[in-house]
Amino acid sequence: MIRHLFTLIWNRKRSNFLLISEILLSFFVLFAVSSLLVSSYYNYRQPAGFAYDNVWEVNVSPSQDTASRKEMLQLMLQRLQATPGVVAVTRTSSNTPFSFSSMNTNEFYYQKKQGPLTDRYDADDEMQKVLRQNVVAGRWFERRDDASTRRPVVVNQEFAKALFGSEPAVGKVLSNDKGIESWQVVGVIDAYRRGSDFDGNNPAVFERHVLEGADRFDPNDRPNLLVRVQAGSGAVLEQRLVKEIQDVTKGWHATVTTLDESRHDKMKIVLTPLIALGVVSLFLIVNVALGLFGVLWYNINQRRAEIGLRRALGATGAGIGGQFLGEMLVVTTLGVLAGVILAAQFPLLGVFGVPTTVYVLAILLAAVLIYVLTAICAFQPSRIAAGIQPAVSLREE
Amino acid sequence: METTLTPAPAASAPASLKTTPMLQLRDIEKVYQTDTIETVALNRVNLTINKGEFVSIMGPSGCGKSTLLSLMGLLDEPTGGVIEIDGRAVTSYSDKELARVRNHKIGFIFQSFHLINDLSVLDNVELPLLYRAGLSSKERRQRAQQALERVGLSARTRHFPSQLSGGQRQRVAIARALAGAPEIILADEPTGNLDSVMGEEIMELLLSLNRDQGTTVVMVTHDENMAHKTERLIRFFDGSQVS
Ligand SMILES: Nc1ncnc2c1ncn2[C@@H]1O[C@H](COP(=O)(O)OP(=O)(O)O)[C@@H](O)[C@H]1O
Ligand SMILES: [Mg+2]
Repeated sequence: MIRHLFTLIWNRKRSNFLLISEILLSFFVLFAVSSLLVSSYYNYRQPAGFAYDNVWEVNVSPSQDTASRKEMLQLMLQRLQATPGVVAVTRTSSNTPFSFSSMNTNEFYYQKKQGPLTDRYDADDEMQKVLRQNVVAGRWFERRDDASTRRPVVVNQEFAKALFGSEPAVGKVLSNDKGIESWQVVGVIDAYRRGSDFDGNNPAVFERHVLEGADRFDPNDRPNLLVRVQAGSGAVLEQRLVKEIQDVTKGWHATVTTLDESRHDKMKIVLTPLIALGVVSLFLIVNVALGLFGVLWYNINQRRAEIGLRRALGATGAGIGGQFLGEMLVVTTLGVLAGVILAAQFPLLGVFGVPTTVYVLAILLAAVLIYVLTAICAFQPSRIAAGIQPAVSLREE
Repeated sequence: METTLTPAPAASAPASLKTTPMLQLRDIEKVYQTDTIETVALNRVNLTINKGEFVSIMGPSGCGKSTLLSLMGLLDEPTGGVIEIDGRAVTSYSDKELARVRNHKIGFIFQSFHLINDLSVLDNVELPLLYRAGLSSKERRQRAQQALERVGLSARTRHFPSQLSGGQRQRVAIARALAGAPEIILADEPTGNLDSVMGEEIMELLLSLNRDQGTTVVMVTHDENMAHKTERLIRFFDGSQVS
């Protein structure tokens, strides 16, 4: 019977080609959507690489006067640090966790090899106490880095893997595009996925910037502070921090948000296009399903005489239903097979830098969905086929 | 049920000995009910077909001949009365049992051949064997080949129906009916779509099947000449047997 199915499908290759194309196309839509979903979920399950609970972001708007801003900042940091309930304070560039600002660069070279596109962060010695990045080799910045001739950097494993391969990263010297050796790696953290829960672990470099070392201090920079507070701190501490800042700076304005709030806000904004895409592809799939359903329905009506004949020759109603499901199974498998071969090119060519497991899972998911889809679409037409009475074979058109 | 296609000598008995009932219709009534009209297609038909007989059925169009054949072939159920095959009433048969009886005992030949155009001649002839358990694909091939030889088409096995003449197509349909080695062949105007020469060929084939292999044949026809070549002629008018 299976051979018979293949013979039938082969002999009807022209009409089946359309059906297979339709299945191939919907497989691709499903594959694209599942890739996105699976990779989002995959990223979601990865460790963030830092701790955002009990961390507050303090946005300070300085007044116009820039003359003694550096001293003001220094004083402010000291006061905040000394406030009861505060665990640690760090000053960062504007690309704080969950913010919409980012900085990336491919200016790093190692022995003439250019590094990947890398997220770049300014960091001081306190940052690791606030965000608790997981240092897996070497160390975070320390006071003694003041004495170093090259600017100290901490990199994440993704960056280290890309530039140094399996060699230890600590101690490596990075140069810029003119070959000037400007940076030295002092530590490696495992990950820093600060964009959102759905972001991948991009290569990242933290550059040491401290107020004491006067270099690169731009008085026009807006100071961004991250404050780790003791668990359970609330509005009282928040008001206290704002007041401290105003006291020290004589009127600078400050607002406080928790990183957890920022995380939720960012999540909403990242999820919106994902959900929109999901809805669009859902419509697409419903469309494909209706098309498939129509084609199958039409086929069965076209083949009423054949069905009557088969029943007259000894097929049972269930057997006819099974034959139609079987044909659909074979056609679906051909479409899925073609789709898998094409989809497998993505991990094989390594485009988009998505892990292979994500693609494999996405292909599996898309295949399962296609089979479910065609099974649903073929179910009712096959039942109709099974119900066609054998007597139709004697009625002449 | 292992009937082969080689001539069975026991079956070529004289007509007078053909008294074992193969198919019996008792008080058969068939009413087609549609939304608005009710058509009485058959009205209290009593009929016995004996093993080895060649019976022809004549009657004006619409008198219920095809309906009668579909009931005999278990393609449809009567609204009243009982059908017996080999002395067993089929009223209580399940869909599966009916399919089995159709497959093993009955062969159909239709006016418009009803070949599947997307299957080769050989694949068409193999069809009834596909629905029979316990046959290897080699056996199926062999039987189909033999049946095609029997109708003189062994050179056309790889052709498709569209590449054959009407007479050849009907011979393929006969080979298909033969492949399952049925005890009875039900033919609904088998020569209706053919010219007289081709019709003659088909008639000869059916006659020789009946003569050489003892296959019971029931044939609906509009052709008096052909009807007179058979042992028994039944005339229908308006749903009832008139002679
Ligand atoms: N499926 C059906 N539904 C309704 N009426 C039918 C159906 N099949 C046949 N008939 C009617 O039953 C009568 C007998 O039809 P049929 O057996 O095909 O006659 P014949 O083969 O002798 O020309 C006709 O009046 C026909 O219209
Ligand atoms: Mg008719």
